[in-house]
Amino acid sequence: MAFARSDGRISADHVPVKLVIAGPFGVGKTTIVNALSEIEPLNTEEVLTQAGTLVDDLTGVNEKTTTTTAIDFGRLTLPGVVLYLFGAPGQTRFQVLWDELVRGALGVLVLADTRRIDDSFAVLDLVENAGIRYAVAVNHFPDSPQYPSDALRKALDLDPRTPLLVCDARDPVSARASLIALVEHIRELVLS
Amino acid sequence: MSSGRQRRRVVPDYMAAARVSVPEHITVERTTLVYVAPDVVADGLDPPASHLLTLLADGPLSVYECAAHLGLPYCVVRLLVAGLAAGGTLLTRDPPPADLPDLEILELVISGLRAL
Repeated sequence: MAFARSDGRISADHVPVKLVIAGPFGVGKTTIVNALSEIEPLNTEEVLTQAGTLVDDLTGVNEKTTTTTAIDFGRLTLPGVVLYLFGAPGQTRFQVLWDELVRGALGVLVLADTRRIDDSFAVLDLVENAGIRYAVAVNHFPDSPQYPSDALRKALDLDPRTPLLVCDARDPVSARASLIALVEHIRELVLS
Repeated sequence: MSSGRQRRRVVPDYMAAARVSVPEHITVERTTLVYVAPDVVADGLDPPASHLLTLLADGPLSVYECAAHLGLPYCVVRLLVAGLAAGGTLLTRDPPPADLPDLEILELVISGLRAL
């Protein structure tokens, strides 16, 4: 039937936990969410009423008053907790959606690409302004230039305590290691 | 995977949440877990609500997943869930507040991810 689902692993005792994966266009958000998720990618429409009006040219479609975007969504059921992963678009024009996505999130994993490091600045601004705990993971592409981590930290203007990792977004083991580093960092901040 | 988005709807999306009124104390967001209250009689519900109950027969889901499975926008399903929770048909579990995370939950996440 139309609403069939293939899973029933979550119980009412599970605590829902939200994590956000943020980054510029094409950095690998969809890839990492799919590598981590235990469910098939799901699609819903996010209605953006104002955010996109200046960018998304609606000339000729006078009836259209809203614009929509897709966000990546994944789930990982662990003993006692169910992790929900949201891939958040990193452009400042998605500010409204961004504010809603990070509300209640435990933390944000910011993905960066060393080939276009300055694309990550807007995302880091969003994260800093939201005052949310985060870690940065550089998604390593085959043609990515390698920089020493000191240089990357300087370029991204990171706090010395903020974790800076290198990951392969396609590899579930590497993707999970990035999430673990993020949550360990959050634990340290809570304990300090 | 099934998404109602590909099908053409006869009834507009907003009708799914028609006649729903939500008390102010009900909060529902994307990651709120939703499940059916015990001993609920699902008679006399509107189609979207009864579809939601069918979907939840296998166990809890987040509001966001419900929206995707039903092929309805998140904002509509959020209202639908809030209305049914207010009426006692559905029970919900909100994510814990994130400003001061619970250490026990952080440990569960870390150990759970390590064990995979």
